[in-house]
Amino acid sequence: MTELRFRTDLYAAEAIDRTVAAYESFATIERESFGEQVILRVTAPAGVDEAELAGEIANYVLGVTVDQRTGKELGS
Amino acid sequence: MTESSNVVGKQTEGGVELSFEESIYPRDAIFGAAYTLLDRCFVHLDRDGTRLLVKLRPKAGVTVDAAQLAGEFEAEALAQAWRREIIAENRALIEGVTSRAFGGAAGAPNLDDLLGENLGDLGDAFDDPLGIAVSWEEKYGKKDEAAAKQEPAPDAPSTGEATPTAGQGTDAKEQGDPKP
Repeated sequence: MTELRFRTDLYAAEAIDRTVAAYESFATIERESFGEQVILRVTAPAGVDEAELAGEIANYVLGVTVDQRTGKELGS
Repeated sequence: MTESSNVVGKQTEGGVELSFEESIYPRDAIFGAAYTLLDRCFVHLDRDGTRLLVKLRPKAGVTVDAAQLAGEFEAEALAQAWRREIIAENRALIEGVTSRAFGGAAGAPNLDDLLGENLGDLGDAFDDPLGIAVSWEEKYGKKDEAAAKQEPAPDAPSTGEATPTAGQGTDAKEQGDPKP
């Protein structure tokens, strides 16, 4: 299990929600809010590099956040 | 590894961690720089007081080393910050030129364009139950001869008195404005 922590003053909460929705069919993701942070616990299925999957999830959250900040919407 | 007063970098396991002073590098510049590296490395942002932490980890198959990525990130962050400053300085000029260009291209709207505009749901704003919007000519102007012969004058008395003829002062100017 890999834990990803996203600060809500840097990452958009909606971006985290959209990422969880996008990746829930590829991994087991638990979401928890803890103060100013949102914690995602990612468990990859067998045969999948969990570190790489967690990195892609973090990138996706960042991408959606930047798109929202610049007024663009990421195509679903 | 980079080490300056505004940017601090250190090697981490499998990557590099950069620390930026947020008062020097705006947050949007850091986000913009991070965005450009998403295809080559895993990026995670964090905060330590007033400093933004950027953790970079190259993706599998990327031959660029962490130090080079860090340098690229710093350069991109600087470029983003500078670009934003230029945009802020020239915002009024850009907006003025753009609005003038669009305004000139569109030209002045004609009456049909104005009438064809969808004004949305205005309810009964343009209803005219009292006939106020009817023009004077439509209400009191001279009717054509055929209609005038068939219809009696609206103000004519019912006693059978003849309506005034052309030479007897039927003109509205001579009689003054008729009462509605």
